[in-house]
Amino acid sequence: MQISTHELKSKIIESLKLQDIIPEQIDDDAPLFGTGLGLDSIDALELVVLLERDYGIVIKDIEEGRPAFRSVKTLAEFIAAKRPQ
Amino acid sequence: MSVPPRSPVITGLGIVSAPGFGTEEVWRAVSNGESGLKPLTLFQSPRYGQILTGEIQRDLLALGAPTRSSRSDKLGWLAARAAIADAKINFQTSGDRAGVLLGASVGGSYDSEIFLSTLLKQGKMRARPTRFHECVTTVDLIANEFGLFGPSMALATACSSSALAIAMAAEMILSGEADVMLAGGADSMSRMTWGGFHSLLLVDAAGCRPFDAARGGMSLGEGAAMLVLESEESARRRGAKILARLSGWGTSCDAYHATAPHPQGAGAAAAMQSALRRAGLEPAAIDYVNAHGTGTRDNDVAEAIALKTVFHNRVPPFSSTKRAFGHALAASGAMEAVVCVEALRRQELPPNPGFSKCDPAIGLEPVVEKRHASLTHVMSNSFGFGGNNGVLIFSRPETMPQTRAPKKIEVVVGGIGVIGPGNVTLKEIGAPLPPGKGLVHSCGALTEAVTLTPNQRRRLSRLQQMALITARQSHPPDASQRVAVAIGTGLGCMEDAGAFIENLVAKDEREPMPSRFPNSVHNSPAGQVAIDQGARGMNSAPTAGEITFECALWQGICQLATNEADLALAGAVDELDKYLLSIGQRWRAWDDTIKPGEGAVVASLAAAEQMPARLARVTIVKLGRYRRLFDAEREADWIASAVDLSQVGIILSGAKGFRQLEPLYEGVVTALLKRKKLELQTYKQKCGEFHAASAFGFSVAVNLARERNCGVLLYTLSLHGAKALCLVQPP
Repeated sequence: MQISTHELKSKIIESLKLQDIIPEQIDDDAPLFGTGLGLDSIDALELVVLLERDYGIVIKDIEEGRPAFRSVKTLAEFIAAKRPQ
Repeated sequence: MSVPPRSPVITGLGIVSAPGFGTEEVWRAVSNGESGLKPLTLFQSPRYGQILTGEIQRDLLALGAPTRSSRSDKLGWLAARAAIADAKINFQTSGDRAGVLLGASVGGSYDSEIFLSTLLKQGKMRARPTRFHECVTTVDLIANEFGLFGPSMALATACSSSALAIAMAAEMILSGEADVMLAGGADSMSRMTWGGFHSLLLVDAAGCRPFDAARGGMSLGEGAAMLVLESEESARRRGAKILARLSGWGTSCDAYHATAPHPQGAGAAAAMQSALRRAGLEPAAIDYVNAHGTGTRDNDVAEAIALKTVFHNRVPPFSSTKRAFGHALAASGAMEAVVCVEALRRQELPPNPGFSKCDPAIGLEPVVEKRHASLTHVMSNSFGFGGNNGVLIFSRPETMPQTRAPKKIEVVVGGIGVIGPGNVTLKEIGAPLPPGKGLVHSCGALTEAVTLTPNQRRRLSRLQQMALITARQSHPPDASQRVAVAIGTGLGCMEDAGAFIENLVAKDEREPMPSRFPNSVHNSPAGQVAIDQGARGMNSAPTAGEITFECALWQGICQLATNEADLALAGAVDELDKYLLSIGQRWRAWDDTIKPGEGAVVASLAAAEQMPARLARVTIVKLGRYRRLFDAEREADWIASAVDLSQVGIILSGAKGFRQLEPLYEGVVTALLKRKKLELQTYKQKCGEFHAASAFGFSVAVNLARERNCGVLLYTLSLHGAKALCLVQPP
């Protein structure tokens, strides 16, 4: 099932309380961590909470999520693949 | 030239922990590499279940612990009683020269959570457990009961707390403030830390495996350990048995991230090097290192890199004993200090349970089996949230390391940042319970927050923002200086702690709040200031009721006097939140004349020659404790012995606050006025009553000293027995 990247971006902005940014300003392929949005390890943990709360995907080891957290696009693909039907 | 002083000695040990009570039981378990971890029974964990923890499953009350106290208090009290008995010391005649320095981070959280849970689920408010909420209640309990009337405070720098407490206790002795210090740490398990570390995905359900290739995180634990630290002269005078010597101590801050260690272990290495310098030892002299070794991926790699940085290719035998105890947070440094002293006494190396396979990313193997070794100097590492590092070096008693005492220096205030009270109604704070009448002293919205970066604004709560802003007001960040930070707080970040626990209870541990948890530690304001300022020196968060600020001031000045820092940022910060307001009203803590308050004050301090432009001088900071049977004349004597009253024009007291303290202040001031004519002033009518209020008093004292060109004596009493003096002089 496809995930709307626009909706996902809105959720990320809300969950991480990102300031002065709207979904349109986030590129689907831009790196979320490090340079891109400048997120850190605690933001990754907030994304873990978001994945469980909104998509029912439980991550117990942050390493499992690492490839998915590269960009909005990889995150959307991860959710589409892992989401319980 | 005078002979340099000798480093303090250890004459007693007390420990209560999952693997055992007392040094014999503990050493048997630890040296055999036994795990003290058992399935959790202390409380129900709907989400994580009964995974392995270092929980203490003995009946603490049956062992004699006081009834009216928190779980942390009980653990700390039992360890203190054991250490005092071990040292065969009593404080009948020497109590004024003995103090307590305790590392604590959980405080009465475990008990307060029961209060909050009952309130949220049954709508009933049983305020009693919250009476023991503060970390400092353990200190007050121990000091009052065992009669230690010298300087006392709790230090809450998360997992490095008790290492820092032991280091500061040594400074207290070297500076002549005390002959004996009971120093250590106490922390109980709590739902907050349980849910918090799980929300950070840092807990290994199978139990921690420090330094192992397959390690998957830490195990939580609880417990307490206390050391009787004594000047060598005092120990010899009373014929005490000297167990070991505390020969070196070093502190540092990564100034890097709220939870993650610096990836190259830069701060950890700096603290180890600082401890070696203090002990006058070369790295090759260290025979064993008790590693912090939590078992998380990041800590163990960073610590290994730091060990290689300090010891190059000759890393001494090392082990982590975290699987024996669980990670008892603020108590762990003191528990591991006990392990180090026992290793020295028995000439044995304790193993690292949980290790089986070397991790190429670490490239080092810990001690795997107990073995005999010739040990003269051993090192203990403790690292905590906020990149807060504390390292201790223990040596055989017969070693003769000489240390340096703090120099007498003239300390000046370069700048001061104040976020003081405006008037905001209770409704604006969001108090849910009794609506209350009248105003509180609240800082309101932080309009200055616009100068913070977007990441600081989104991540930091009001308390941390208040600290950041006042620190910047007191001194702009300057990377060329060695900066120490001591920013205390009485209650810490109530907003984050409250929200985190409320969420935990309401949602049965689902949807945790990982970004709230790191803010909830008492050292989050000091840690965030360090990151903002690039301050890599000592980073401390004292908590000591109404004298919290004076404790921070003492620590900041200590870092200048020992030449560990060029600049010290000393302050205190506390906030009002809905729970505090509700509980305070239930206790009728406030009335129409005295209102609750909040605020932040940070002062930048330096040695006079370093800071030509200055606001004032701080010539005396003295901490102590008054007797339950309050004797105003005795208190006036204490002041007159510490301060030359001829240099004082104004006494600025903490009166006009809690009404229980009014007669005490009045008695002392009356007794002092008989000795010298002084002008009496107060400040709490302006800022309200809160733990950090004396920091606001300090800013008033600085202004008064300048305007009136006279010495201003800031005099503060805490509700639970502590007292402080601070003399501010014109520039």
